[in-house]
Amino acid sequence: MEVQNQLVVGMSEIQVASGPTRYTCLGLGSCIGLCALDPFSGVSGAIHVMLPEAFPNRPVDRPGKFADTGLPELLHLMELAGAIRSKIIAAYAGGASVFQYGTGVPGVQDVGHRNAEAVRKVARELGINVIAHDTGGSNGRTIYMQSDTGEMVVKTISAGEKVLCSLRRP
Amino acid sequence: MSERIKDLSKQELAAVHKMASKGLRHALFSLSQITGHSFGMHAPSVSAVSLEHLPEVVGPGDQVVVAIYMSIDGDVRGHLAFLFPWHSAQRLWDLVVGHYPHDPQTVDDLCASAMLETGNILNSGFMNALSLMTNLRIHATPPLVSIDDAHSIASAITCQTELGDSVALAMETKIFDEANDGISGYFLCIPTGKGLHALLTGLDVRESA
Repeated sequence: MEVQNQLVVGMSEIQVASGPTRYTCLGLGSCIGLCALDPFSGVSGAIHVMLPEAFPNRPVDRPGKFADTGLPELLHLMELAGAIRSKIIAAYAGGASVFQYGTGVPGVQDVGHRNAEAVRKVARELGINVIAHDTGGSNGRTIYMQSDTGEMVVKTISAGEKVLCSLRRP
Repeated sequence: MSERIKDLSKQELAAVHKMASKGLRHALFSLSQITGHSFGMHAPSVSAVSLEHLPEVVGPGDQVVVAIYMSIDGDVRGHLAFLFPWHSAQRLWDLVVGHYPHDPQTVDDLCASAMLETGNILNSGFMNALSLMTNLRIHATPPLVSIDDAHSIASAITCQTELGDSVALAMETKIFDEANDGISGYFLCIPTGKGLHALLTGLDVRESA
């Protein structure tokens, strides 16, 4: 039996692997976790996006921080590892407004929604085949994806674990 | 402007330390008045911002945490947060409103507004102390409250801090009730680079630009 690789994808990180791998994105508040898999080559990857787009006046320290720089980088790294772009299947979750109570100042609660919109838009522009997403609401999420089964699971404190999709059976 | 902790002189670092301690003491005094309990704190640490460690400080990543978050506005901008592990928040609710929710899904309106009000009180105490020390106009903004796992809350706060201008440093410490009645919490104040400069100028440890 092949030993499964375990990867925890922290904030702003991109991880790519070939062979059976279990990805975990812990505590996606307003962040988005996107998992991708080319079922033919077995190359998989995940990204933990923090913000919708890079700031025009600041250098990008970590491409994975932003949707507009991170998603192309994820695809690039997967291709370098042997994935075929047109075969890649993806799903994502997160983008919550975790502060359930109070009004705050205008805009404070927007980040999750903006992240979800940005990931949707960039994924579409890049032609990524997104088969499922679970975004919005007021609960933070943790996601797991096993590349050998393709199963992607979303966990929240209110609803527990649920299977979002299988990236091997779109 | 982007301040970094390594760029601060010893005098400036000491001033930031003193400011955080005094602000937090005022905030905790206000909290004592509504709960009837005295609160203490560990000496605040001032560090370069690395919020990835935040969940581990308040407890295991999947531990439920109640967070009060406020942005700081006015002459100084930044972020202020108080985080309480679930059992501490329950004890706090019990002291403030006489009952507490048994799980995060059953937080009623009274408990939600009590936690928001606790945020207002902590916020005002901290801001007033800072304003008095620096003669700066520092606004308290309406608080937000989240009840979620520690990682999700840390992620949401980190996203907020990354949206503003470069974050300089975090002042953080643990707070606890002196009667050892089961309340502990974690405090975080993150001024922006410009906000820190304004504070240091207001404290007379730095010339204005």
